[in-house]
Amino acid sequence: MTDAQLLADIRDANLTYLMLAQTLIRKDREQALFRLGISDDAADMLVALSPAQVLKTASTNMLLCRFRVDDDLVWNLLTDHSIPHNAPHAEAASEPRSDRASISRLHANILMAGHFAEVL
Amino acid sequence: MMAKSVADDSRQVNLAIGLIRLGARLQVLQSETQMSYERLLHLYKEVAGKSPCKGQLPFSSSWFLSWQPNIHASLFLNIYRYLSKASAMESIDAIMKAYKLYSEQIAACNLEPLLSFTRAWKLVQLLDDAKLTTTGCTCCGGHFVTDPLEDASTFECGPCAPPARAGKGPGAMGLLH
Repeated sequence: MTDAQLLADIRDANLTYLMLAQTLIRKDREQALFRLGISDDAADMLVALSPAQVLKTASTNMLLCRFRVDDDLVWNLLTDHSIPHNAPHAEAASEPRSDRASISRLHANILMAGHFAEVL
Repeated sequence: MMAKSVADDSRQVNLAIGLIRLGARLQVLQSETQMSYERLLHLYKEVAGKSPCKGQLPFSSSWFLSWQPNIHASLFLNIYRYLSKASAMESIDAIMKAYKLYSEQIAACNLEPLLSFTRAWKLVQLLDDAKLTTTGCTCCGGHFVTDPLEDASTFECGPCAPPARAGKGPGAMGLLH
């Protein structure tokens, strides 16, 4: 992949992100704050961007959306890799995988929602 | 009590419709709107297409503390707190929006929503009345719904320390889907 292609891909991702963010904020502002994980002020700035500004902002060599998971625990829960499993029962090992996977995802969601509440 | 203006009345009716669609019981509507019982009953039948459930609301705070319901309740509460912190909203609006986000998340995990809207509403009340609180897990740092007397120095949350028979009892329906 050439550098020009990479830049074009980054611009596309930025455009998609900015337009989606604007749509979400216009549809339901409070839910959008949760979905996007951004502050009220950031939402104000995003939603005020004109289409021309969106295009201009998207054309950069940096991605504008940031990775939301920055700790090992949440990441492992989300990807279902190393699940903390303290159940002493031997039969616990035969527990349906989907059960533990679902609980892991819920656990990750609780941590993410809680974590971002502290950041604001 | 009569609503003061047509605009206010319409806002109340819209709120009531939103609540009924989320599955709120009649008692929730009576508490959150100033509409008369007769009007609410009429509206309920119109929107839900059936008569409202009779009987008392589930008042117990212990339901929220059993293993699986606790995970659902804690997820809802974390979303609710996020929304209330992120923007200035009426509590009932935050509850409704948080409940929608909770339901979405549960559906994405292919689970049944164990927490009904009425329970979610009750949960917020119980926390306001300090009948329940949240405690940070010493293992993962997440905030979970607990008894106010929970010892914060040793608390481990449900997912971090699942009981031996977690997900195996008759109440495991939400998981085995």
